[in-house]
Amino acid sequence: MSAAVAIEVEGLGLTFASQSEAPTIALQDVNCRFEPGKVTALIGPSGCGKSTLLQIARGFLNPTRGRLRFVEIASGKVAERPAMATVWQAFNLFPWLTVIENVAFGLELAGVPRAERDARARKAILAVDLNGFENKFPRQLSGGMRQRVGIARALVMEPEVLLLDEPFGALDAQTRLVLQEQLSKLVETSGTTAILVTHSIEEAILLADKIIVMSARPGRVCDQINVTLPRPRSYATTHEPEYAALFDRIYGQLRDEVMQAMIIESGGG
Amino acid sequence: MPNDLPLAEQTPIVETPVAPASASSWLDNERVLGWGSVALVILVWEITTRATGVSPLYLPRPTQIVVALFGMFATGELHKDLLVTLWRIFVGFGIAIFVGTALGIWIATSVRVRAIADMFIAMLYPLPKVTLIPLLIIWLGTGGPFMLTISFLGAIFPIVINTVLGVRQCDPGLVLAARDLGATPQQIVRRVLLPSAIPSIFAGIRLGLGVSIILVVAAEMVVGKLGLGARLYLSGQILETEQVFAVLIVLATLGIVVTKVQDFIDVKLGRWRLA
Ligand SMILES: Nc1ncnc2c1ncn2[C@@H]1O[C@H](COP(=O)(O)OP(=O)(O)OP(=O)(O)O)[C@@H](O)[C@H]1O
Ligand SMILES: [Mg+2]
Repeated sequence: MSAAVAIEVEGLGLTFASQSEAPTIALQDVNCRFEPGKVTALIGPSGCGKSTLLQIARGFLNPTRGRLRFVEIASGKVAERPAMATVWQAFNLFPWLTVIENVAFGLELAGVPRAERDARARKAILAVDLNGFENKFPRQLSGGMRQRVGIARALVMEPEVLLLDEPFGALDAQTRLVLQEQLSKLVETSGTTAILVTHSIEEAILLADKIIVMSARPGRVCDQINVTLPRPRSYATTHEPEYAALFDRIYGQLRDEVMQAMIIESGGG
Repeated sequence: MPNDLPLAEQTPIVETPVAPASASSWLDNERVLGWGSVALVILVWEITTRATGVSPLYLPRPTQIVVALFGMFATGELHKDLLVTLWRIFVGFGIAIFVGTALGIWIATSVRVRAIADMFIAMLYPLPKVTLIPLLIIWLGTGGPFMLTISFLGAIFPIVINTVLGVRQCDPGLVLAARDLGATPQQIVRRVLLPSAIPSIFAGIRLGLGVSIILVVAAEMVVGKLGLGARLYLSGQILETEQVFAVLIVLATLGIVVTKVQDFIDVKLGRWRLA
């Protein structure tokens, strides 16, 4: 892994132009920072631009205002875009490829020789406890298993920055709990910088080192909270008084913003 | 992870009715019923033509048709016609598969190309392709290039249209995932758009082959001295009705074989079918 890289976001804005309707201001004057090797959660009402922010970080969208930079911690210099990989809410596995072919896909595209990419893919599959399922197709797996393939497919690329866009949004509550614990261990051991978009306050507190609360559209940062609860965190953590305090603080902010978002969505904004 | 068990291998939703184990159960067997009724029709045909003494010029007996069929194969003439027709169909059709798929992908991935192609497809696709035969004869004569073109034209439209459809129906999430994993635009086409369009492309190929067969046989009837279509037409002209039936049997068999091969390929491609 190369030198630690932080992501700095300054005055970031993005407006989607539309021919038929009024332009959508997805992000407006967003300022925040993602620390290297840490997990930062992004939480905010639906449509506030969380996915848009990830797409800008990934380089798939260009901001209309402000900037997003990668900064080398040691020298303070602007760095190249680091290696990145995304885990998607809809899994986005290739249905015609087996588990191992899905996991090895990125390595294959990069021209990694067969023996090496197979070995690396098998290691990643083992890390998410899916050994024995290498030759199954995604449709033969449960939702939780599919997302573990999604996580393995991202981690096998050894990303310096891992983007997680509501990775457990499509899973049931129990599967979610198990995967949250598994993910937090994997992220910790890999030392990758992670940005986790979530709608779950609990998930944000259990997984993140820092939580950024965003406002209703147009998305801005309304709060940044450092989570100092000791690791490893688990379900038991939710009984700690500090957890309750954090939860209340975030919930209070989100409640107002979600109400606001609902007004926007029903045509009031 | 107890709540995280693998789904069982694709259990079929449709339940096939279980035949009752009674004496008449063979009547519930679809195969027996199907083949049995065909045999019955042939039997009735044979008996009534014998009994009524209808002229074989109008309706030959099944046994006469079988004799004619074997006779034609014995002299080798039917082999030759069959091979000529197959060759004409599959050369043009084969080219149409490659050109059609490539063109379809190009149309589906480029807004400009689509704008242009949409117009031509809208104008040419509804035109019954047989109506092009006279024009093509004027341009190309009646030889190989004509047959190749007519077979190509029959197959290309369904293949292009289905390829475009298949590519455009590709889940945008898969394209994003591939980009995220570092795919170049070319890799996205080859490794994501093409495989996800495979079922649709095969549906197009299936339709296209059907049209190619029809067109080549029809063209042979118009111009040919060789080929099944020509044999069919010439036999009719000289009132060799058994031979007409014999050629029809060959054509029907060809259709059945083609369908079965395609069914087989479809099953083999089952893994492409989405969850
Ligand atoms: N390609 C696009 N063109 C036009 N508008 C877009 C586009 N992508 C997103 N938007 C709009 O931008 C806003 C922010 O979208 P985004 O997907 O970033 O929200 P989000 O915070 O991820 O929401 P959710 O929690 O529901 O996933 C939304 O109003 C959305 O409709
Ligand atoms: Mg989103």
